[in-house]
Amino acid sequence: MTASEITTFKEKVIASAKTTKTIKTDFVQYKHLDFLADDVKTSGKMVFKAPGLVKWEYTNPYQYSVIFMEDQLLINDGGTKSKVDIGNSKLFKKLNQLIVNSVKGNMFNDADFTVSFYKSSKYNKAVFVPKDKKIAGYIASFELLFNKDDAQVFEVKMVEPSQDFTRIVFSNRTLNSTINDSVFSN
Amino acid sequence: MIRFLAISLLAAVVLTSCSLKTTEGLRPVPFTQNEVENPYFSNAEIDYVYKAKIEVYGKNFGGILIIKKIAAGSHRVVFTTEFGSKLFDFQFEGDTFTKNFVVEDLDKKFIVNILKDDFKLLVNESAKVLAVYESNGNRIYKTQSEDRFNFYFFGSVNKSLQKIVNTSKTKEKVVIDFTVSGKNIAETIAIKHKNIKLTIALEKFKKE
Repeated sequence: MTASEITTFKEKVIASAKTTKTIKTDFVQYKHLDFLADDVKTSGKMVFKAPGLVKWEYTNPYQYSVIFMEDQLLINDGGTKSKVDIGNSKLFKKLNQLIVNSVKGNMFNDADFTVSFYKSSKYNKAVFVPKDKKIAGYIASFELLFNKDDAQVFEVKMVEPSQDFTRIVFSNRTLNSTINDSVFSN
Repeated sequence: MIRFLAISLLAAVVLTSCSLKTTEGLRPVPFTQNEVENPYFSNAEIDYVYKAKIEVYGKNFGGILIIKKIAAGSHRVVFTTEFGSKLFDFQFEGDTFTKNFVVEDLDKKFIVNILKDDFKLLVNESAKVLAVYESNGNRIYKTQSEDRFNFYFFGSVNKSLQKIVNTSKTKEKVVIDFTVSGKNIAETIAIKHKNIKLTIALEKFKKE
């Protein structure tokens, strides 16, 4: 992308993120490991409510949900409920913040990453490379793919230093429908 | 006096060596089979993928366990979170263990050693038979693993591997229970430690 294309693209994403109060979407997650014949596939639903409530609910092939709530993760692993306090772990907090922000796409101002932009006929792509060495030990890069028309994220890809990656593809997205806070309780 | 002490000590040794629970009620039988096989991770064409639930001292963790035979006698064992982030990545090649990756919080010698021993026990494909026992039609093979022993329990009905028990000379240390469906596919696996509060429950991913 040219400098002016980047500016226009960023403005569009930020404007879209601002008007996005809630998101409901299906997702399919592919875990790619180079030694496997097939990617490990899991799927479910994701719900987001501004400013920072996110619930990932895996329904296939198992039931597992995790709710991101301030400094806590509320986990329901097939009926086994647990709470994880992430307040003390800077790294974990950063990784979680990434997941929350990537849903909206608006993470261009994150000082912890070097961002580069690419375009194709079908989508725009932003690639985030961590500056922090500790984070770089876990994530080589973080890629977000955006629809050209509405500037919404439709795919997230997290590449590990080994080049194995996790790809999450969103579909059936509903924006700004009413979502009750009770969705985000365990 | 010395004779009394010697007899007492001998008795103590004999009694304790007899106290291994695993072989109670088992009848030793002659055998010709030199090797015992664990068939569950032996097909290099299959990606063995399991949902994992780990309970350690009352705390629960979940994740995905992936096992793949990558060459003869060689397995890759990778554990990720549900989101796909790798927590550890091990390689077992005969007796050679390679730690490809371990997330910082888990990268402590005693944790890595426990995980290494558990997954080596789980994926090890064949071992030299030291003794064979029978009980109610079940066949049990004793093998040696460094200074410990492993007992492989095969069922009477479908001859499938149902259990592996890892022991010292006198005590059970780790028990792995399998439930099986179809040919050589472990549907559920439960790894239970006897001396620490650690259980790993695995359930195979269902086909879509």
